[in-house]
Amino acid sequence: MIESISISHPPLPLASEGCGEERIRRKAITDAEKTPGAERKQWEELFHRLSHPFPILMIDRVEEVEREKKIKAVKWVTANEFYLTGHFPGEPILPGVLTLEGLVQGALLLVAESFNRGRLRCSLEKVDRVRFKRAIVPGDRVEFMVQLTAKEGELWKFKGQAQVNGETAAEANLILKINFHDVGFEI
Amino acid sequence: MMENKEIQSILPHRYPFLLVDRIVELKPGKGGIGIKNLTGNEWFFNGGNSYPPVLLLESLAQLGGVVLGSKAREENPNSRFFGLFAGVSDFQYQRAPILGEQITLKVELSQSLASIYRFAAEVYVEGEKIASGQVLLSFSRTPPLQNR
Repeated sequence: MIESISISHPPLPLASEGCGEERIRRKAITDAEKTPGAERKQWEELFHRLSHPFPILMIDRVEEVEREKKIKAVKWVTANEFYLTGHFPGEPILPGVLTLEGLVQGALLLVAESFNRGRLRCSLEKVDRVRFKRAIVPGDRVEFMVQLTAKEGELWKFKGQAQVNGETAAEANLILKINFHDVGFEI
Repeated sequence: MMENKEIQSILPHRYPFLLVDRIVELKPGKGGIGIKNLTGNEWFFNGGNSYPPVLLLESLAQLGGVVLGSKAREENPNSRFFGLFAGVSDFQYQRAPILGEQITLKVELSQSLASIYRFAAEVYVEGEKIASGQVLLSFSRTPPLQNR
């Protein structure tokens, strides 16, 4: 999939505080967190970041981001989601490939956070060692943890893990192809 | 050759997650060729025009499910079985299929270990190979999720 990500926005507001220099950068944002509606704002922000994920936006909230390192994102699974009507009738299970999509979207957000400004295009190059270990059912809270493991030119390698209550539900190795053009400069 | 109605008698998947349209060649228990057409009013195109690559994996897994399920039906027409997507290895994308294309899906059983089946999978659009890799399914004759 070719995903284009717009990163002209300010850094993603976090649902929890970052660390190190990230914390200074985000202090203003975390202050805003205490005001009502911050969650909604972050969700809208995510929505704009990932080009057209409407029916399959698999991330509700980002809890931790470390540039060029790792990201932790969360999704709540509810029986009301439309694809659960067909997967499967009478026995809702979150489709494994959508768990994988959550990991991919986490990796895309991590890439988007790692650049300052410019035009960024990402495409999924390869998925490897994907294992679905546990069914995810309505009522679960899925945590997507994605870690950057290596960079080889424009290929970035990630290791992702989806957890439910600390139990690994799925894991995957992902390779994204990153195409970045600088636009303008920072003042 | 198998039409969508027969696919629905083997797979439990229904709209919006039935992602194989027709089976054009079927060797029960061994392999098969299926097709999926992409049309503009499907739910995953929402302003975009590419088929999400993770759903391509699902199409392949469903084709694998038909291959295994048709084998079980051949042996016993009333058999009950349950398949789950177990994993993917080494799946490489050349490009994403886009709106208006017909995807040809090809799976071939390469290995089976206990209840895990490994398929070599390939995806073509008009003869051009756009993705390939291996898909793992777990398939059992008794539904494992009953105790939940």
